[in-house]
Amino acid sequence: MTEREKAYMHWLYQAVGMGGRGVLKRLEQAGTPEEIYGLAVQGRLEEKLSARYRSKAEQITAYTEGYDVEAEYAKLTAAGIGFVTVGEAEYPKRLATIPDAPYALYYVGRLPEDARPSVAIIGARNCSEYGKGMARQFGEVLAEAGVQIISGMARGIDGIGQQAALRSGGYSLGVLGCGVDICYPPENRPLYEELISAGGICSEYPPGITPRAVLFPPRNRIISGLCDAVLVIEAKERSGTLITVDMALEQGREVYALPGRATDLLSLGCNRLIRQGAALVMSPQEMLQELGAACGATEVYKQQVLFKPEGIPGRLLELLDYQPKSMEQIRQEYAALYGAEMSVPKLCHELLELCTGGYAGRVGGNYYVKKM
Amino acid sequence: MFSTITSGTLYGIRSCLIQVEVDVSQGLPCFQIVGLPGSEVREARERVKVALKNVGVELPPVSINVNLSPADIPKSGTMFDLPVAVGIMTALSKIPAKAATDTLLIGELGLSGEVKPVKGVLPIVREAARRGIRRCILPAENLWEGSLVEQVESVGVSDMRQAIETLTGIRQTAECRRAEGNMEQGENGVQMHGVHGDVSQPGPAYNVSEHDGREDFADISGQESLKRAAEVAAAGFHHLLIVGPPGAGKTMLASRIPTILPPLSAEESLEVSSIYSISGLLRSEAGLKKERPFLNPHHTITGQALVGGGRIPTPGIISLAHRGVLFLDELPEFKRETLDILRQPLEDRKVQIARTYGTYIYPADFMLVGAMNPCPCGYYPDMGRCRCTPSEVRRYLRRVSGPVLDRIDICVQAQPVAFQHIAAPAVGESSAQIRERVMRARQIQTERFRDTGPRFNADMKAGDVERYCVLGENEQRFMEQMFVTMQMSARGYHKVLKVARTIADLAGCERIGEEHLAEAVCYRQTEVLQ
Repeated sequence: MTEREKAYMHWLYQAVGMGGRGVLKRLEQAGTPEEIYGLAVQGRLEEKLSARYRSKAEQITAYTEGYDVEAEYAKLTAAGIGFVTVGEAEYPKRLATIPDAPYALYYVGRLPEDARPSVAIIGARNCSEYGKGMARQFGEVLAEAGVQIISGMARGIDGIGQQAALRSGGYSLGVLGCGVDICYPPENRPLYEELISAGGICSEYPPGITPRAVLFPPRNRIISGLCDAVLVIEAKERSGTLITVDMALEQGREVYALPGRATDLLSLGCNRLIRQGAALVMSPQEMLQELGAACGATEVYKQQVLFKPEGIPGRLLELLDYQPKSMEQIRQEYAALYGAEMSVPKLCHELLELCTGGYAGRVGGNYYVKKM
Repeated sequence: MFSTITSGTLYGIRSCLIQVEVDVSQGLPCFQIVGLPGSEVREARERVKVALKNVGVELPPVSINVNLSPADIPKSGTMFDLPVAVGIMTALSKIPAKAATDTLLIGELGLSGEVKPVKGVLPIVREAARRGIRRCILPAENLWEGSLVEQVESVGVSDMRQAIETLTGIRQTAECRRAEGNMEQGENGVQMHGVHGDVSQPGPAYNVSEHDGREDFADISGQESLKRAAEVAAAGFHHLLIVGPPGAGKTMLASRIPTILPPLSAEESLEVSSIYSISGLLRSEAGLKKERPFLNPHHTITGQALVGGGRIPTPGIISLAHRGVLFLDELPEFKRETLDILRQPLEDRKVQIARTYGTYIYPADFMLVGAMNPCPCGYYPDMGRCRCTPSEVRRYLRRVSGPVLDRIDICVQAQPVAFQHIAAPAVGESSAQIRERVMRARQIQTERFRDTGPRFNADMKAGDVERYCVLGENEQRFMEQMFVTMQMSARGYHKVLKVARTIADLAGCERIGEEHLAEAVCYRQTEVLQ
């Protein structure tokens, strides 16, 4: 596709705006974007569309008035935003194979390479300490082994997995449910900046489109479409993450899920997936093996040294869990298990020692968790 | 004829003596009161006229002018009825001119001539004693209050006739003399007059709880970390924030904090009782305030009710909590503006309310105890159960005013009570035992801060912290480590040192040790709150 054609394509995307997938499909049959532009300028667009799309046609005609195709496209380039359409060599091959692949993608940074394996690390926004730790570990190890990490840059698992991938020097791509020039969620601004410089950001929506709930489910098909396998770290029973999994299954992607305890609500979705046939995965190493030699996986998984402190710190560590426990709870459990009361000042001291030693972490105030 | 009678009025927490000047002269019959009288004071004319008639004093058709001096202080309340009536009788020569010298009179009159109780007797009598008045004639029901001030002779009168008899020297029986000294006798004095009952005021709209010794720390089972935090807070007069789900015993703990604070000193007791007297909340049955007050306003409270207000400002909840505990349950539910008003009182330990006539000052030196849920659903940070999104949690916590949080040194998490603790009888330490330790720690602070600015560790400013919280080499290294791993701010660092100082004082240690610092670090506010 020539630059000229792409400029008209960009015009069409902008003019159609959100929720115009049906129109785009119809218009594709009506001719090239340039021809459609010609029709729109003459106000004859409605002839090509059924009555259903009358209002959309009017919207496109109205938008086209005073629109400078060349200048608008130049703006895009000036802002450093790439524009790639389906059928071009740069368009990710994996994505092109899915049934409703987007006609075009806007991106900043780099798009994933077709030759390298990619994995989507997805999960709950409101995740537990266990989920956080696992997302970090999988992101880090997979990326180090050369796997490209694709996700939605959302709060929780998504963002943490991507952050870990970038930290270990790997590649990660964030697929947004808004224009690529908008950082959503805003608190992930540092990650957004890092992705632009060391990875990539892409979206099927033109720049300037603000995030809306309806935009996110279609975005999920791009996440699963861009990768070979989807890994679910944590998901509740009814979770948005499961939409991505459904898409992945439709597209024929592998689905991996990290198991959790039967009682953990946040692992319920994952456990269900495993029962339905998703691959159970316990370590990133395992996953690398399953992904096959394609990635030339080197043995990078760092075996955790399970060093156990002796005496009281050791006993305390045994009481800690990936679920946060308050100091009072730990005190009570300690008394119940070892039959010895521990004074509050002493307990404070011991717990902080564990934190500084890297065995435990302090979350949400005076709650403590085991560190992974 | 002209006469002058001494009376008193309230001016914020301060009270001042008022000269009631009465002039009776020939002219068109009239009755005027000047000197910035409030509407209650202006209505004294009608009450006085009828009351005098009903005790057999006919007012001749003369021009009566009453001036309340100093005339630039606004006067309110009904305590001027009695002095105005006595002033008129003196001016009419029905009472000898010298009868009311060195005597202060206050009291409300009923139409039958009875003398009814008024508010603020204690501070007025205290002021009278300070200014060298020898005798105070008070409503009989307020006699016990006046009797608390020993330097002055208080006489209770239940009607106009008794007042006249007292002034003219006819009535000098034992029963009307001021009772000797303490409160019990004051109560007897009231009983002798056969008057008992409530001050004729509608009950307060808030909860003023009286401690009757039934509440005790021993009642709280489990919750050791909560109790320990309360002890540290009490020892250093640190403000305390309790975070925990509903039903974790936050209110139970907070209402018991006054029982571990040192008992009120005699001076403090008079001070606190004065505030209650002004508010009409001092009950004869309870006598002088001996326990530290505990105030628990509902979160719908207005800013005015909290800090005091009105045309003539009356003390607010925070002044009633003076020298005691102000407990704000469900802190994020309080309106932001309401909490923001607390900033100045928390800093100055008093409230200033400006009015056209001047600034009213009420003391407000209280220990703030706040309680809140960790998130709207109460389960954060247990993400398996918490249904709140991170932004919901943040929005909830952000409702608490930052400047108020800045003043809170100790933050502690409350845990839902486990069943074995509900089932088993509580066998914790008693309040008396804890109070003993608290008082020892207070003693150390009093000696440390003698003749310097702060009174408690919580009062220390940055400079004081550097001076009094010196760390050894090991402790310095420990704090350095903590500063990094806990991502502390400079402000958080100072708070930790202040609290560690109190913990060391509780342990009787001169030097702050690592274990003191570690505990103090655990009392830091949650990162989401910062």
